[in-house]
Amino acid sequence: MQHDGSGRIWVQGLSKRFGPVAAVQNLSFAVEPGSVTGFLGPNGAGKTTTLRMLLGLVTPSAGTALINGRPYHQLGNPAQVVGAVLENEGFHPRRTARNHLRVYAAAIGAPDHRADEVLGLVGLSAAANRRAGGFSLGMRQRLALATALIGNPQVLVLDEPANGLDPEGIVWLRNFLRSYAREGRTVLVSSHLLSEVEQTIDQVVVISGGTTRYYGSLEQLRSSRQSRVLVQAADSTALVTALQEAGFTQVEPTQDGRISVVGVTRQQVGDVAAKAGIALYGVEEDRADLEKLFFQLTTPQYAAPPPGYGAPQPGAWGGTPPQGYPPQQPGYPQQQPYQQQPYQQQPQQQAPQGGWGGQG
Amino acid sequence: MGRLIKAEFRKTLSLKVWWILIIPLVVVSFLLAFVWGKLTNDFADFMGDGTASIIAAQVGLSPDQLPVGLMAIAHGVNIAELVPAIFGVFALAGEYSSKTITTTFLTAPNRVSALSAKMITYLVWGALYGVVSFGVAALATLMTVSSQRLPTAGEWFAALGATVLAYMLVTLFGVGFGAVLNKVVLAVILLIGYFLLVENVLVLLLWDKTDVLGAILPNGTADGIVSGVAAQAMGVTSLNVPTTVANFDKLGLQLAAGAPGVVSWWLSALVFLAWTLVFFVGGWLGNQRRDIT
Repeated sequence: MQHDGSGRIWVQGLSKRFGPVAAVQNLSFAVEPGSVTGFLGPNGAGKTTTLRMLLGLVTPSAGTALINGRPYHQLGNPAQVVGAVLENEGFHPRRTARNHLRVYAAAIGAPDHRADEVLGLVGLSAAANRRAGGFSLGMRQRLALATALIGNPQVLVLDEPANGLDPEGIVWLRNFLRSYAREGRTVLVSSHLLSEVEQTIDQVVVISGGTTRYYGSLEQLRSSRQSRVLVQAADSTALVTALQEAGFTQVEPTQDGRISVVGVTRQQVGDVAAKAGIALYGVEEDRADLEKLFFQLTTPQYAAPPPGYGAPQPGAWGGTPPQGYPPQQPGYPQQQPYQQQPYQQQPQQQAPQGGWGGQG
Repeated sequence: MGRLIKAEFRKTLSLKVWWILIIPLVVVSFLLAFVWGKLTNDFADFMGDGTASIIAAQVGLSPDQLPVGLMAIAHGVNIAELVPAIFGVFALAGEYSSKTITTTFLTAPNRVSALSAKMITYLVWGALYGVVSFGVAALATLMTVSSQRLPTAGEWFAALGATVLAYMLVTLFGVGFGAVLNKVVLAVILLIGYFLLVENVLVLLLWDKTDVLGAILPNGTADGIVSGVAAQAMGVTSLNVPTTVANFDKLGLQLAAGAPGVVSWWLSALVFLAWTLVFFVGGWLGNQRRDIT
């Protein structure tokens, strides 16, 4: 029954059907310690179901979801390994925050003072003796996080944690999660808004319609989408010819009468135009918009190229790559410098700090 | 397991439900035992004449030997049994309604241990409620019943043991009933409606056809544990009531003991245990498999 202490989350071929509805289909990905991984997909994509299968709350129809090489209920005292902040998680409205935490501290075997520690960690000390029923949504999220932290877990799983948090709370949460991951722990955070977690996450798993659409580093996702240059020229036809002769073949007219060129820099366009003696009225670079990419990944109808936006690039950013990304070896270390840090390689048998762990 | 039991006790003790429910428990136990003790004791004083003496003679009792004390206790603790049943409903159905069940399952090694801890905790609560209810009913009995009609030492202990046993089972019944329905309010309404009204009406309406209902239905068997002790002391269980006693006189005598149709305290306990297991196992299996979404 001993888990391997790696802090790794491993999901392989996970599926769940609720009656006729396939909520999750053959989902595979891995989450490594030391990074914050975003679990992204539109509402109804199967994120919550996946996380609940990982946590043993929902029984999968097929496949496996492991933490530290074990299913949730084989972790021994699971809340000392995994902390979870879930949507729809409840508090008894008449139980105070401190009593709520003392209940679960007892269940986990943590000392009573741990309840006050985690209240302090999430900034709820002043509300310790208030009933949870009077809490705002943001306070409830903080209390849920405090509950998840009682066991000082190595792995933190959060389902839409930013819901209900004010901007200040979101910044606080972002910093908290990043520092948690920096200690070599694992953080998996779901969201339906890429922009909400973009500054928090390093790795990303994108799912839609219950299947994996992308799995890898955010940086790779960003760079995989080529930027384009929009040019307004005196003689568009001549410029297109000149660009094609210079080897830039991904040229298309845009709706507003400009030319869109993919795989080229502004300087190159300027050089080609000067050489051909064509006057340019405007040259503008259109950087890959991550949000737009996210839409394309998650919405089937966006798979077709939007009107006038470059050439279709099937597979350029790995539209449906789950098979191409073996979960055991995501193969990103070389792409991300911070992953080289030495703690990456050490199995996290013990919680890094602030630990009271050890007792069974 | 010890950790989870400690957590379950903290859950119950950090809310007011446990002591708010003690209020109706104490009031009902005391009032019913008091009123029954008072009325029956006064009534027994008149038993030298009229139909009462005939009935008493039929079952071979002199009025002074009627176990009025046991009868009063049985009436006190029987209706108050609903209190631990309602308390039990909150164990699981309450956790679903406040959605704390998610955290409860997340912080337990597995669901079997989470549910076992709940079962043990609520058995202890049932026993505690039983002791309180018995104590109050005993007090009311001592206040109202003449000393020669009070239970013997052995009968006091039998009544206490029967009350604690009945209350533990009834609490588990409530846990299971709540878990099967998974709705707190619905479960409480159905419990009260069935135990106070539906089954009693059913047993009385069908009495001239069969006297077996009280020995097999949940309310009759739950009541029959403590009332069985009284009925056995009185000699009016369906087994040992004399055949010369008319059918409706038998009903009256068994009603006086608090459980029409009662056969014996231990048979009532066994049958009610079966009812408890039906709901408890049903609720347990549902929780073992249910997807918490």
